[in-house]
Amino acid sequence: MILTRPNAFLYTAVAAVLAAPALHAQEDAAPPAQTPEATILVPAPPGTVEIEPPAEDTATAAPSVPASDGGTAAEPIPTPVSAPQPQREVGVDWPFWGGDANATRYSPLEQITPANVAGLERAFVYHTGDLPSPEAEGKYAPETTPLKVGGDLLMCSAMNVLISIDAATGEENWRFDPGVPDEAIPYSASCRGVSVWTDPEAAEGDLCATRVIEGTLDAKLVAVDVETGAPCEGFGENGTVDLWQDIGERVPGWYAVTAPPAIVRGIVVTGAQVKDGQAEDAPSGVIRGYDARSGELAWAWDLGAPEQNADGPPEGEVYTRGTPNMWTTATGDEELGLVYLPMGNSSVDYYGSNRSEAEGDWSTSLVAIDVTTGEPAWSFQTVHNDVWDYDLGSQVSLIDFPTEDGSVPALLLPSKQGDIYILDRESGENLVPVETIENLPQGEIEPDFISETQPASGYHTLRFDNLTERDMWGFSPIDQLWCRIQFRQANYEGFFTPPSADAFWIQYPGYNGGSDWGSVAVDTDRGIIVANYNNVPNYNRLIPREEADERGLAPIYAQETGGESGENAEGAGDAQAGAPYAINVNAGWRSALTDMPCTQPPYGGIRAIDLATGETLWDEPIGTARRNGPFGIPSGLPFKIGTPNNGGSVVTAGGLIFIGAATDNLIRAIDIETGETLWTDELPAGGQANPITYEVDERQYVLIAPGGHHFMETGVSDAVIAYVLPQ
Amino acid sequence: MKRRPDRSPHRGAGYWTRVAIALLFGVLGTILLIGGVWLIALGGSWYYALAGLGLLVSAWFLWRGQMAALAVYALVWAFTLAWTIWEVRFDWWAWVPRMVAPTVLLVVVLASLPLLSQRRAARPHHA
Repeated sequence: MILTRPNAFLYTAVAAVLAAPALHAQEDAAPPAQTPEATILVPAPPGTVEIEPPAEDTATAAPSVPASDGGTAAEPIPTPVSAPQPQREVGVDWPFWGGDANATRYSPLEQITPANVAGLERAFVYHTGDLPSPEAEGKYAPETTPLKVGGDLLMCSAMNVLISIDAATGEENWRFDPGVPDEAIPYSASCRGVSVWTDPEAAEGDLCATRVIEGTLDAKLVAVDVETGAPCEGFGENGTVDLWQDIGERVPGWYAVTAPPAIVRGIVVTGAQVKDGQAEDAPSGVIRGYDARSGELAWAWDLGAPEQNADGPPEGEVYTRGTPNMWTTATGDEELGLVYLPMGNSSVDYYGSNRSEAEGDWSTSLVAIDVTTGEPAWSFQTVHNDVWDYDLGSQVSLIDFPTEDGSVPALLLPSKQGDIYILDRESGENLVPVETIENLPQGEIEPDFISETQPASGYHTLRFDNLTERDMWGFSPIDQLWCRIQFRQANYEGFFTPPSADAFWIQYPGYNGGSDWGSVAVDTDRGIIVANYNNVPNYNRLIPREEADERGLAPIYAQETGGESGENAEGAGDAQAGAPYAINVNAGWRSALTDMPCTQPPYGGIRAIDLATGETLWDEPIGTARRNGPFGIPSGLPFKIGTPNNGGSVVTAGGLIFIGAATDNLIRAIDIETGETLWTDELPAGGQANPITYEVDERQYVLIAPGGHHFMETGVSDAVIAYVLPQ
Repeated sequence: MKRRPDRSPHRGAGYWTRVAIALLFGVLGTILLIGGVWLIALGGSWYYALAGLGLLVSAWFLWRGQMAALAVYALVWAFTLAWTIWEVRFDWWAWVPRMVAPTVLLVVVLASLPLLSQRRAARPHHA
């Protein structure tokens, strides 16, 4: 492995030429001087870089490149591979997990409108065939959002089977099963999506000229040909890169990829989900970039040893253990060559005194990494010394933000606390006011560690006011009384109440957000942010080690079978080995008497926000009570109550929002102007996945893969359902 | 189904229904009173203890077969309504725990009116 870090060679033109054979590993017989790489070594004038459009679909490929700015074009410094590539555009296609390269989830399609949406019919229902084995029962939450490229839909199933189906008929083109074992399931069997990359140097029709790349639960990067599903032999070993390499002991389920990778300037960037709450000595949260063509490691960003491990750790060592990880989806910025990483918290979420300084600097931060070097360009921290599991869960959206000095290339960062920040993409500076919450309580567990101040957005927050006793709920005065007693018994000093062991503490908002992995959508024409959100507290307690041992709480590597807590809520009895306390989380603070939430609805909503001002345009509960009720009995009530929800929305030029997400197992179309629900359809399981919209033969389709979610109790399904207006 | 035809004719289905309702009110009242006192001790709302007391008084009259049971419970219900409006205004989902079950109980008491009347008429026999 001479070229474990190709980009190290790419800083100069000479080195680039030397590196060319390695970059072309797929056909490693190619002589350096004659390789087509030469065509991209010299940047073309802005906006006109001529690169062959994606082989299989000329109609929808972006005709032009995001212009490299004039400055770089003037200097003839070759920037091989790392030059911006043309990006597919959203519309006829849905080429990125977030819709377009900017992850706005906004489609210019307008055939389906508020006037005709009620007529939507099912075009087809496709079944992936991926349903839980007896061992995986109760652990499925596929959360899958397909891409649509050319005539095909490209997706992964819960257990990472890569599938291509016809976008108009649902007929299967091919499938590739990477053979992920059940024991690899971490908290859930999820595969949120795949990414597509077209090799600018490959000839049309070459195998893997355009490839589908996914990260798997057993921590592999898998690349297959978009046309045939055949593994890309030049990528890693026969189409597979092993992400466990240099991570440490392989414990199935501890280290898993559930999000699609970001591909920026030919570099595949991925983090991984490190199962929360197991141990301080956990797999590293290292972020790695791989050459999209060869699968070679381009760089590693190990926040604990950034320089030492930039090309991978020295022989016999591993990436820094227990560091904050990124389990959600990053956004690539092809033009600036940055990738924006929404980082989570350290592996032990609810105790921080043992963390390193570097963990404190980077946890729960948005970090911009320069993909050409693997080094951070800037970062913005949303929680200082996070002991609430407020991982950044949402993918950021790239927008042009109107300011006094004109439109600024910006990004929109939602958080689990519900705060929405707008940052300058290039500098990371805030373009909207950031407030500081001061004099926060320190608690008794680790008063020196708990931060006295925390940031909050002065632009917009999805967060509700602090809870009071009167917000307690139930279905009768008796269970409501019990919740009120629990409220009064708990430690609660409002937002950012620190963890406690003497009694339960109320965390509000809980770790489900705010905004989670479904992220937000931005109607860039109307200037409207559409954000669905959760409004759910958690009822938590730190468990002293002795008590945890008595309860038999053990980390994943000491359990007989990996990932046995799949049926539980995340954090409902996690060992946090190495810290003096384990953690018990009652997610959603549900009553032991009725299984109903202790707090009153809404538990979730959807809000339209004016992008320019941050003002709320409308705010509606999302989800009806039809599937909810005491003791788990569906009430059948068709009233909007506002349920917990996971999964984002799609907004269209036609003026509609499409979203499932809620626990009522409905997909709905909402009028973006009014918030009124205009159409619903009952899904076979929960729509905890982002829908998409696309066009085939001048007909607009809306599609969702309602896989259900074990923890949200919305069933399980392998269906992929497309809707279309009757002809 | 007259299991004990030799005993008082007033201990038929009506009698037992009334006793069951009285016991139900007694149990609910006791839970609300004990929990309510606990909540007051924790610095919380006084509503539950007061409502529990009201239910217990109503249960007592029900047990005795006296019309006062209705009056007392009607007061509890009205008090609950006023408290609900005071606490959550007209947020209907917040009305669910506060008003639904108490209203169901109100219907139960109203439905047992004929039983109460019977009992009153029967009182001389019992004395």
